[in-house]
Amino acid sequence: MYRFRLRYLNSQGTLMRILMTVTRRGLDLSYVQAEPAGDAYQVTLLVEAPVKQMLQMCRDWRVIVDVLEVEQPVEVRNLEEALANLAALPSSGAERAAAVN
Amino acid sequence: MPTGAAIVWACLKAEGIDTVFGYPGGAVIPLYDALDGSGIRHILTRHEQGAVFAAEGWARARGKAGVAIATSGPGATNLVTGIADARMDSVPLVCITGQVRSNLIGTDAFQETDIFGLTLPLTKWSRLVRTTEEIPDVLRQAFAIAEGGRPGPVLVDIPADLLKATVEVPVPGKYVPSRPAAGANASFPSAALQALLQSAKKPVALVGAGVKLAGAKDVLNQLLDRLNIPTTATVHGLGAVQKEAPYFMGMVGMHGTRASNTALHETDLLFVFGARLDDRVTGDPARFAPDARIVHFEIDPSQLDRVRRGELAVVGDLNDTLPQFVQSLDGFAVPDFSAWRTVACGPERAALGTGTNTALPAIRFLDELFARMPEQSYIVTDVGQHQMWAAQRFNSNFPFGFITSGGLGSMGFGLPAAIGVQLAQPERKVLCVSGDGGVQMNVQELATAKRFNLPVKLLIVDNKYLGMVRQWQQLFYDRNYAETDLSDNPDFVMLAQAYGIKGRRLGIDPTTETGLPANTGDVLNDFLSSPEPELLVFECPPEANVFPMVPSGAALSEMLLEEK
Repeated sequence: MYRFRLRYLNSQGTLMRILMTVTRRGLDLSYVQAEPAGDAYQVTLLVEAPVKQMLQMCRDWRVIVDVLEVEQPVEVRNLEEALANLAALPSSGAERAAAVN
Repeated sequence: MPTGAAIVWACLKAEGIDTVFGYPGGAVIPLYDALDGSGIRHILTRHEQGAVFAAEGWARARGKAGVAIATSGPGATNLVTGIADARMDSVPLVCITGQVRSNLIGTDAFQETDIFGLTLPLTKWSRLVRTTEEIPDVLRQAFAIAEGGRPGPVLVDIPADLLKATVEVPVPGKYVPSRPAAGANASFPSAALQALLQSAKKPVALVGAGVKLAGAKDVLNQLLDRLNIPTTATVHGLGAVQKEAPYFMGMVGMHGTRASNTALHETDLLFVFGARLDDRVTGDPARFAPDARIVHFEIDPSQLDRVRRGELAVVGDLNDTLPQFVQSLDGFAVPDFSAWRTVACGPERAALGTGTNTALPAIRFLDELFARMPEQSYIVTDVGQHQMWAAQRFNSNFPFGFITSGGLGSMGFGLPAAIGVQLAQPERKVLCVSGDGGVQMNVQELATAKRFNLPVKLLIVDNKYLGMVRQWQQLFYDRNYAETDLSDNPDFVMLAQAYGIKGRRLGIDPTTETGLPANTGDVLNDFLSSPEPELLVFECPPEANVFPMVPSGAALSEMLLEEK
């Protein structure tokens, strides 16, 4: 399983195009979280994918018009571990909320 | 104050668009109401799919984004096949659809469809317009994205009330991409390329449509002359390589030449210039060019390593990277590959491999026809056996002279696309080669050709079958010709006459050496010279097959050269 994180402009359809890059391959999206990140947005995905498709998806995401950045995917052993790690790291949205408070 | 509709036309004019293709309907009545006086010619097709394919043909021949207009609901959904086609073949296309009024969106209103959502996976970019004021910016962005980088289709969906609303015309802002063009190589890998060339024994060049889209034909041929290595082209790359070049082996792929497919199987170094390497080109991807290191020159990074992991990727516009490649060879002694070239391009492999099959009359007929076409003319095809015969026999150096639906393989493409090509290039000869199956998918566009008196020449290669499917059924399904029989086709000559178009018929003549009637030349001369649309039906043997053929899922080396 891989954890992907992408920064994107929240323009019409951009998030859907990001997600469709996964779903068109018949892969299951185990986890999706989209949130504001600075002056853009970020989405975190957990996807079980073979290496070849993982690389293909990264390349496909990079050419979507309003995708700004595709981070290097991180391999995780299972969903539980991935969710635990995500919980340990405050999301950008949480950071911003904390800053506001 | 102008309406949203008037603003749309003004924006199209500002983008240099003089011709659009479309079909009116409820949601776009305001747009059509404002057409008069816009300075833009609207071509009324007889089906929205005809409009989008015609816009594709126009775009391919003009090198600019084509524009297709449709109403909401079924009008918009009828564009979908053309949008998918443009995506696969990298054709810049701006589709403008009317949408139901803003306050009805999401209510399942009459002729409401979520065309924005439907086309998300097919379009490069799309917008559902929410205010009349944003129309200029959205359209400017639409054209910039459709034509920029690897070209493709975009969609702009405009609710009817926004087309009717009046606003002060805002000055459109300059479109600024959200990020720079993806991943161009920071420095050109000259040393790596030279090292690969020095260690290679059997290099091959594979040329795709990207070379033509980049306008890099001349520099490509300069490079190929310098490398002097066996070279092949995809169906969309035809015309990019000089046909006289001694290293050119013809088309590659499922119905490519024996020489091309064999060389690709044997090569140890493969240069790919602007090609996607789809499965019709590679055969079984796992056994494609099994011994080759692949160097991929490509503008779209998403196409890299898709089929096979490459040794080296050179990302960027071929108009930039190919001159750099040429320059990098200055002072470099390109190894002598003449022994390999002699084998790969030699006469033993050069034979097309048509064997004794019954396609010879059709092939000879196409040779006779193509020989009469001026050099800078267009051959537009539909999809099927005739398409592959035409691709095999295409023999022109005009880079845009062969226009076809290659990636999606959309039957029905040929006739409307040829109409679009003729409108884009009115001085050029345009021949549409279609099949009896494909032509009936958009045959209504004969009315469009007649209305505008376009001198499009329509050839129907009539074998009274869905020929390519029948061929597969014959070869791989034990001749079970399930639902491919079209022996009850209409009389195409009478059908053309019903549209006010002259039609005639030619069959094979088994008594002549060529299998063609003695008057074939006269008929073809007359057919091509008339200044109006015309139909010619060539009655082809029903069980004629296209060879060579690489069976689906087989390696290129496993091509069939003739019927067993």
